[in-house]
Amino acid sequence: MNAIEIQSLKKVYDTNVEALKGINLAIPEGSFFGLLGPNGAGKTTTIGILTGLVNKTSGTAKIFNNDIIKDYKKARQLIGLSPQEINLDVFFTIKKILEFQAGYFGVTSNIAKKRVDEILKKLGIYDKKDNTARHLSGGMKRRVQIAKALVHDPPILILDEPTAGVDIELRHMLWDYLTILNNEGKTILLTTHYIEEAEKLCNEIAIINDGQIIKHGDTKSIIKEVSLNTIEIELVDVSKLSLPNNIEYEINGNILKIQSQEVNKDIVKIIELVEKTTKIENINIINSSLEDAFLKLTN
Amino acid sequence: MRVEFITFLRREVYRFLVLYKQTIIPALISSLLYIIVFGTTLGTRISSINGIPYINYIIPGLAMMSVINQAYQNSASSIMQGKYLKFIEDILVAPLSGFEISLGYIIGGALRGLICGLGILFICLFLTDLKIQNFVLTIFYLLTVSWTFSAFGVIIGIYAKSWDEIGTFTNFVFMPLTFLGGVFYSIDMLPPLWRNISYINPIYWMISGLRYSTIGLEENANLISLFICFGFSCIFTFIATWMFKTGYKIKS
Repeated sequence: MNAIEIQSLKKVYDTNVEALKGINLAIPEGSFFGLLGPNGAGKTTTIGILTGLVNKTSGTAKIFNNDIIKDYKKARQLIGLSPQEINLDVFFTIKKILEFQAGYFGVTSNIAKKRVDEILKKLGIYDKKDNTARHLSGGMKRRVQIAKALVHDPPILILDEPTAGVDIELRHMLWDYLTILNNEGKTILLTTHYIEEAEKLCNEIAIINDGQIIKHGDTKSIIKEVSLNTIEIELVDVSKLSLPNNIEYEINGNILKIQSQEVNKDIVKIIELVEKTTKIENINIINSSLEDAFLKLTN
Repeated sequence: MRVEFITFLRREVYRFLVLYKQTIIPALISSLLYIIVFGTTLGTRISSINGIPYINYIIPGLAMMSVINQAYQNSASSIMQGKYLKFIEDILVAPLSGFEISLGYIIGGALRGLICGLGILFICLFLTDLKIQNFVLTIFYLLTVSWTFSAFGVIIGIYAKSWDEIGTFTNFVFMPLTFLGGVFYSIDMLPPLWRNISYINPIYWMISGLRYSTIGLEENANLISLFICFGFSCIFTFIATWMFKTGYKIKS
């Protein structure tokens, strides 16, 4: 079953900006899904429509088969949102904020109190429960944001740039925690600017650019399909090198650089061709990353 | 009632109760200062209006003035803070209907207005020889007027882009309409032209209604006051609900 299903979703803002140009997306239950794209590509608009913060222009979106408009109460119940910008009420303590947040999603007071304590302990901010947001560091505020998304125990988590502006230690802690949540069965939709984060966490990725999904598939396949790995060969005497005209290459000092989509297949042929004219001193293979794929797709 | 709605309502009430030093106490103090200063100074020159001691005559108007300001300020500032710090999104993404959201904000503001209005009347029972004539009708007027201006505060809170716009209504609309609505005088004292203009001021009818229910003075038909208070509360509730339902000025 799909946790999130989007069909022909369009959004045109009052300023006539077409933020989404009829996107289609299916996010399977239990997946860790990355929605990547440059600034202004349509990521936050998509999330806004799913959660009820933005009105769609046309198309449909369903959360576990519940239409976000017709069955909006059921649909919203199933989502926990951690928005990109910190949005904590400054008048209440962290504990109170989270108890209210749970209540907004139908969790009764007694259960909410227990759950708030549990989550605050898991996120390492239990000792800050009686503080207001004003007295928390940026990293702690980010943890409270994630706690807000989790407090009603939704099956889907939507995290808009969850690790923006947090230090490396906390980022790794959050990555571990999100992985645990995903292993426990939660579907996670993540948007991030850190491509490394998506590569590490997500098993499926969609790349959105200019309001359109330009690539969608499992993370490894996208990297493999879109990216070119580089074979670097250090030569003994570069002046003697002679390669057939159909091979594209680059020489940098005494290093020959050839790009390949399938390194395992190509490397043997390339070595044979090179060794016909000169000797090889060293070989280095540089695997391309999701970042390379992302840059290539989004220009 | 649903836990979702009750929680939101609790949040709205808890917000102004926690901040009672900013939300309740100053309203009571400023009204009492009005009563002491105006009641004692003007009261020595105007002994009575329509047979009612001057100090008693101004109490309903002052209570209503406080109710209007407090109810409006509560919902308008709650929404504005939510918009400014973006935590209004917590409510917008929750499984709450537009009607439930508007009702939560309105009831929160209406309760604050009601508490302030009742507080002023209660204190005046001890400070003056005021005796409330019809307690049920008094509650009706305090509640409907409080509800009306709380709902109006929701509308302005959604519409306003800055704190200045919220203050503009207090200073340039409510204050003049309240003062010209006969808080400190009977409009019978005015020349015919100004008296007729006062009749189109809804706040005049609200004060007049409360004056009837508290001190028993019916300056004009009480039925009109009842109709105006109830009518405005329904109209503004409808508009506020429509705004949340459609996301007007809140959702992009």
